[in-house]
Amino acid sequence: MKNRLIEWIDERFPLSSFVKDNLTSYPTPRNLNYWWGFGFLAGFILVLQILTGIFLAMHYKADAGLAFESVQYIMREVNYGWLIRFLHSTGASAFFVVIYLHMARTLYYGSYRAPRELMWWSGQLLLLLIMAAAFMGYLLPWGQMSYWGAQVITNLFRATPFIGDQVVIWLRGDFSVGDATLTRFFALHYLVPFLITGFVVIHLIALHTVKSSNPSGFNLADKHNIPFHPYYTVKDLFGMAVFFILFCVVLFFYPYFFIEAENHIPADPMVTPSHIVPEWYFLPFYAILRAIPDFMGGVIAMLLSILVYGAMPYLDRSRFPGGARHRPFFRLMFYIFIIDVVVLGYVGAQPPGDTITVVGQVATFIYFSIFILLPFVSYFEDRWLIKRGLPLELQCLLDAKKCDLL
Amino acid sequence: MKEMIAKVITSIVVATACTVASFTAIAASPSPPLLDFTIDNSTAALQRGAELVQGKCLLCHDLKYVKYRHLADIGFTEAQLTLLRGESGLEDAVLSMMDSDARQEMLGMVPPDLTLITKARRGGERYIYSFLLGFAETAEGTATNRYFPGTRMSDPLGISYVTDEGERQVIYQQAADIVAFLSWAADPHATERKTIGYYVIAYLVLLTVLLYFMKRRIWRRLDDE
Amino acid sequence: MNDMTDESRKPGDPERREFLGKVTGAVAGAGVAAACWPFVRSMYPAADILEKGTSTIKLGNIAPGEMKTVAWQGKPVFVLHRTDEQAERMMHSEGGNKDPQSDEQRVQKPDWLVVVGLCTHLGCVPVRHSDGWSCPCHGSEFDNSGRVLKGPAPTNLMVPDYRFDDDDAIVIGEV
Repeated sequence: MKNRLIEWIDERFPLSSFVKDNLTSYPTPRNLNYWWGFGFLAGFILVLQILTGIFLAMHYKADAGLAFESVQYIMREVNYGWLIRFLHSTGASAFFVVIYLHMARTLYYGSYRAPRELMWWSGQLLLLLIMAAAFMGYLLPWGQMSYWGAQVITNLFRATPFIGDQVVIWLRGDFSVGDATLTRFFALHYLVPFLITGFVVIHLIALHTVKSSNPSGFNLADKHNIPFHPYYTVKDLFGMAVFFILFCVVLFFYPYFFIEAENHIPADPMVTPSHIVPEWYFLPFYAILRAIPDFMGGVIAMLLSILVYGAMPYLDRSRFPGGARHRPFFRLMFYIFIIDVVVLGYVGAQPPGDTITVVGQVATFIYFSIFILLPFVSYFEDRWLIKRGLPLELQCLLDAKKCDLL
Repeated sequence: MKEMIAKVITSIVVATACTVASFTAIAASPSPPLLDFTIDNSTAALQRGAELVQGKCLLCHDLKYVKYRHLADIGFTEAQLTLLRGESGLEDAVLSMMDSDARQEMLGMVPPDLTLITKARRGGERYIYSFLLGFAETAEGTATNRYFPGTRMSDPLGISYVTDEGERQVIYQQAADIVAFLSWAADPHATERKTIGYYVIAYLVLLTVLLYFMKRRIWRRLDDE
Repeated sequence: MNDMTDESRKPGDPERREFLGKVTGAVAGAGVAAACWPFVRSMYPAADILEKGTSTIKLGNIAPGEMKTVAWQGKPVFVLHRTDEQAERMMHSEGGNKDPQSDEQRVQKPDWLVVVGLCTHLGCVPVRHSDGWSCPCHGSEFDNSGRVLKGPAPTNLMVPDYRFDDDDAIVIGEV
């Protein structure tokens, strides 16, 4: 019966062939490690956020006079409202953990290189969209930190040349963050995840065109591919289950960890909190913003720090694929980069002070230096590797005869 | 690969340590160290706390997100609730005896709402406990608080002038009960949340183990080739 | 099944794999189903709305022959204090043919009629007159027992759960 139904559909719609080509028989390298599971995990969290977001929206009131109270209503009166709310707030942080690990994997293994540039750029766009969604979502509880975080960040648009002040007012719908801002942020916060879904589809189409990279960096011949199902369906599900345990520990036992104390106080336009901090996932970029004393300079630096990743396919001038796998200097730069981002994150959380400002400026300098130095380091590293004597896999790239020995 | 894991984990550990250090630094810098105490979550403590809050705090503070109906969840009977709520209905919020305008006039401000106070202050329950016991008299004879020197609040429990040790012990207990109740008020579903959490995580561990063996079984097919 | 040689007892043996697969699938499926429950439940009326499921009305203000319309669960409810004459007439009449019911079946005390004030045709609020109600939308007629006499309404006006709280109040929504 089921087969007849599928046959009927297949005559009219490429259901079976689509599922076969893109899921069940889709060829995947057999050596993918668990770092390749974060893309799937990100997709799962997107679905979780959309689901919990819609159910929250059934009770939330996007009005400056009602918003804070409506969140309390959800927490206290709505059946399992507290659970849906915490799923959504913990899910937002989980989303960024997964995305940052996903990006780290891509940087480490050089998966941004040709022919995967469009994947990298669509990923970049997705990151920007997620950041926008998170920023707007944070205003919705209408707590002190929500309000003042939005006030500070919308203020940054003053940096727009010539029309800066007008842009800020246009963005807010009012002279300062207010009810107009809240309502439109709610509308857009509801919309953006569906834009994200659309670009995820584009991201996946690009992926299925060039196929997955793998830890060795080489384009393994077809004999090294295995069907996605059941190998990677089960592996991804296992990885997801492990992740979900950690997620649920936070969700059920430490749900307030990511909620700033100040945000339990309703927004007061007359009183600024002593210490304005964005959510943790924005901290490194916030640190870079504050590191530059000039207002315009700070905004430009912050924007560049997010956009610079787009240049990676062209900054990395090595001929050898696989990223850090075969290249010790690239690997060292990667680790320095990770530590630097963590330091920047710490700096972003501190109140302004003399020492911390210097630390932030040094860390910012290192951050951009890594990108700027990469073309030179990668070029000279290649020459250094060849002089030292290449491992067999790399020799294969330069001399096809060596590949038979592999 | 292993190095990468090691480095990433080290970084995360360093980051967490820094974050925790930074928060402790911010919490501890202007005030003396917070007093130690453990929350008593029993319904007896919560009920004592509720009655104390009603007697001593509701003069000036609201608990506007708590309704009288919710107090049934900490064990109050309908009869007890009728006494507690007086003129207010079950669906009414637990509000101060004075309305906002009267407090604005009398006190010069409307004191903060207490429903979320244990979450809204760095240090949480320990801070509120320390605050209640932190009142002292200045040399000029005015009230001040070791943890919030600029406070305009007067000493609600009497810690700043009671000298008898037995009576002071009573005050410590009162402070503990009040904080227990306020902690409940800020998060009434906490117990339910943790109970469900234990079951969910137990289930997930089971599912993870099953999926692990599934994964191994399926991947062993590759070895057969 | 005579292929059961030693070989097929290896891990990866299809039968054992299938069993593990079925168990894992069942456990996963149970988890997914359980995870749906809070979402479904969250759409059910919240605690405060359930509290508003009852309305208490004092009867002392309603003179004989008078009707009060009160709100219950967002709907209008007609509380009619019937005169002795009205009650007598209703007790002895059979009402309409569409939905035969005796007056006794529809009241707890003969001088009080409590019915939901929505026409059972398409939900308009009928208009009061001395012998009952007329619905302005499509012309249905109801008597002083709320029974449909004529018009497109298929059933009598609904009698909600209610109880008397002593003699001077009724609680609608409770038995």
